[in-house]
Amino acid sequence: MTGPVRPDDLPDPLPGPAAPELRANPPQRALRLHRELTRVWSDAPGFYGWLASVNHTSIGRRFMATACFFFAIGGVLSMLIRAQLATPRGAFLDSALYNQIFTMHGSIMMFLFAIPMLEGLALWLLPKILGARDMAFPRLSALGYWCYLFGGTIILISLLAGVAPDGGWFMYVPLSDKTHTPGINADVWLLGITFVEISAVAAAVEITVTILRCRAAGMALTRMPLMGWYLLGTSGMMLVGFPPLILGSILLEVERAFGWPFFDVARGGDPLLWQHLFWLFGHPEVYIIFLPAAGALSTIIPVLCRTTILGYSAIVAAILGLVFLSFGLWVHHMFTVGIPHMALGFFSAASALVAVPTAVQVFAWIGTIRQGRPQLHLPMLYVLGFFLTFVMGGLTGVMLAIVPFNWQAHDTAFVTAHLHYVLIGGFVFPMMAALTYWMPLLSGRERIPRLGEAAFWLILIGFHGTFFIMHLTGLLGMPRRIDIYPDNPEWVLPNLISSIFGMVLSIGFALFAFDLALQWIFGARSRRNPWQAPTLDWAMPLPAPAYNFASLPLPGRDDAGAILALARGEGILPGAPRGWREVLVVEPGSGAPQHIAVLPGNTLLPLATAATIGSFFLLMLAGLYALTPLALIAIVLVGWRWGAFMGCRQDPAPVKAAPGLVLPLHWTCRATLAHAGAVATLVADGALYACLLFGVGFLSVVAPQWPAPQSGLGTALTLLLALPCLLALGLASLAARRTEALRAEAAGRRWALTGVLAGLVALVALAGLALMLDDPRRHARDALRGVLLGFALFHVALALIFAWRTWCDLRDGRMGPARRGAAPVWRLWQDFALATSLVSALLVIGQEVL
Amino acid sequence: MGWLFRVLAGPMLWAILFAAVYALHGIGCARGWPAIATPLGNLHLVAMALLWLTGLALHVLILLRLPQGTARAEHLPRLGAGIGLVATLLTLSPVILISTCG
Repeated sequence: MTGPVRPDDLPDPLPGPAAPELRANPPQRALRLHRELTRVWSDAPGFYGWLASVNHTSIGRRFMATACFFFAIGGVLSMLIRAQLATPRGAFLDSALYNQIFTMHGSIMMFLFAIPMLEGLALWLLPKILGARDMAFPRLSALGYWCYLFGGTIILISLLAGVAPDGGWFMYVPLSDKTHTPGINADVWLLGITFVEISAVAAAVEITVTILRCRAAGMALTRMPLMGWYLLGTSGMMLVGFPPLILGSILLEVERAFGWPFFDVARGGDPLLWQHLFWLFGHPEVYIIFLPAAGALSTIIPVLCRTTILGYSAIVAAILGLVFLSFGLWVHHMFTVGIPHMALGFFSAASALVAVPTAVQVFAWIGTIRQGRPQLHLPMLYVLGFFLTFVMGGLTGVMLAIVPFNWQAHDTAFVTAHLHYVLIGGFVFPMMAALTYWMPLLSGRERIPRLGEAAFWLILIGFHGTFFIMHLTGLLGMPRRIDIYPDNPEWVLPNLISSIFGMVLSIGFALFAFDLALQWIFGARSRRNPWQAPTLDWAMPLPAPAYNFASLPLPGRDDAGAILALARGEGILPGAPRGWREVLVVEPGSGAPQHIAVLPGNTLLPLATAATIGSFFLLMLAGLYALTPLALIAIVLVGWRWGAFMGCRQDPAPVKAAPGLVLPLHWTCRATLAHAGAVATLVADGALYACLLFGVGFLSVVAPQWPAPQSGLGTALTLLLALPCLLALGLASLAARRTEALRAEAAGRRWALTGVLAGLVALVALAGLALMLDDPRRHARDALRGVLLGFALFHVALALIFAWRTWCDLRDGRMGPARRGAAPVWRLWQDFALATSLVSALLVIGQEVL
Repeated sequence: MGWLFRVLAGPMLWAILFAAVYALHGIGCARGWPAIATPLGNLHLVAMALLWLTGLALHVLILLRLPQGTARAEHLPRLGAGIGLVATLLTLSPVILISTCG
């Protein structure tokens, strides 16, 4: 491919900037390019290199390996549960330990296996399938991994120490409040899971930005591989779906630690608020887990059927439907709590409707198999296992969506069976298909025949033997989470059968892991593209090198057939001639090249940041609240170093990416990856704030013990303190704009300083307001006001740090006429702080006036 | 990004309407709106039904204003608008089918 390359000529290009007419770079020696890129992109050697790695291939593999480790632990716990339930008077575990074990089984499988597994797959795979060299924020990938590892370790240690969470994986109050769970068991869950969820939000931000901005040139959204759409849907859901859980965990931990009564009925709280917040996360979570698995299916099925996917547009529409509708179902987990019939009707209808987009996908996959020539390779076996299992789980889901049936089956083993059919059918089977499909790319080695097939049959038979009969156990009335059932002889046989097949299932998973290990260690070297797949992930050597592509795909040449041309540097940005980790940034819709982003290299900064965040959580867990400000200061100090990458001292010269394509470097652009990342983060932040407002509204309207006692905070006094704060925040927003506009002049520095001072004034005013608040322990309304104020304080402080960063960058010459530094990001955070503070002030004033 | 927002317009409108009707339902029950009569029925029912119908009209408007065509770039926004319309029609239909606060 040495001649001119034609631009993408698909029949339905997206409106927007068209990809320029690009020609190929001249061919170079592939081995020289490989060495040059490996030097720049690979991890440093030794243990330091392991700690300092930020490369997406390393971090993604690490996420998946750690998730599999936690899956094994969760599996061992499930065997303990089944051993206990095998007989009606099981003496294997006492009740207290049994409670810890079933809670840990659920929590580990959901938070330490499923979510990190999908994050790992996304981090590892996305750049490869989109034609990029790395994720948008490599340090964020590493930070996410360390937060996951440290948080998971805290939770695991609690199990070994006998203080593991024991209130069930959804931690309902009042069972998990301080009165009923006085030890640290619940705190371990609340703090540990929140720590782990930092990695989920971090992954969501960078998956979103990577898909929208780091695709191959000319890869419009309308022709992006379906995996990209699935992961875009997943990340969007994570941005909005995780904040309710994070907020709920914060509120419950604050109630436990400081007595603020968000969930205490006697003081204006309501336990149902916890259920709402938890399931606002918990139900979308099912689809967050399912969508990446479905993405793997949509990738694997056409390849193994030697055809193309049927109904691309219908599948994209189905993803869209799932993403939104899944946020309208959460109350179906609460059908028995006494909600009015009309509200039940809304959520029952949405619960039934969500089956439609799921069915659209299932039929598209079946149609794809029908039109192709299916090959029963090992991944295809798992795909078929998925169909059998997930469809059955979906049907019992429709049954549970119907209110009268739900009332009968609620909290029985039927629900346990249903959720395992959905989660193992909809996530574990597709993930095993994905692992076996991409193992040659992961390990560079071929599979050892037959062992995997044996594992598959053990898993399939073991699974259905365990859980199919559990439906019957549930219909016979057996509740979830009981450890003995001496008075119910009708439950004995089905439980014994489930326990026997549960052990078969576990042996199957062990054999699967053994098969993967054998392949990695003893497998013969795999040939290139062993499945003859058309996608870009196979347009690279095996195993995948740290940089993925020696040059990036040209428009219309983004398939596996470009492998040799890309290796010879005939694509965009060949090699690493400047010694930087460079990636192409494109326009979100059309995929037209916009600029080159330089990514940070190996660094210990993510590890140090995770350690400081971990110290905060550990201090909270130990009850050393007075020392937590020290941890917060440490987080700010470490975080300050992250911002150093946003400015540079010279105007960098544009880069010639290909003949006829000269692109600026990111320091001279406004719509950078960092800017997009800040927007994505603010979406998550806005979701958290919206949930907080929902909490205020819910308690005001539904909770008993309202209206709240007379407030000592008069309307006039509130206004008096809120006004200077809001004025200062408005001035800071103006300063952020003016600083960015006048960055080349001395006035820019003055405006930045104005922004810093205005932020300080706002902080002082907020502190004054905090002193005037009623005792937050008195009533839920006062506690919620305390949280609203804390939210404002946190964001004003954060905006102040960005302002300070901008002023320092201006002072040190790290910004200039062409270089914007952190100013655009400061502006975003400043506007967000102003908007949310204004809404909070209006809300409090409204409460006082009405 | 403009194209992506057009794709998302219908489902986003559904999300806003779903949240608004649910909130209105909760507020109405707490404030005793079902007991307040209006010429069109009780205040609670009328408020929710009006919001629902207005939302449906907006959905139809979105659907009509989107460009026609068979190309994927035109087809996907219309699919998105259709999803929003059907979701609003079905999930909020209880406002005229079921008693409010019982």
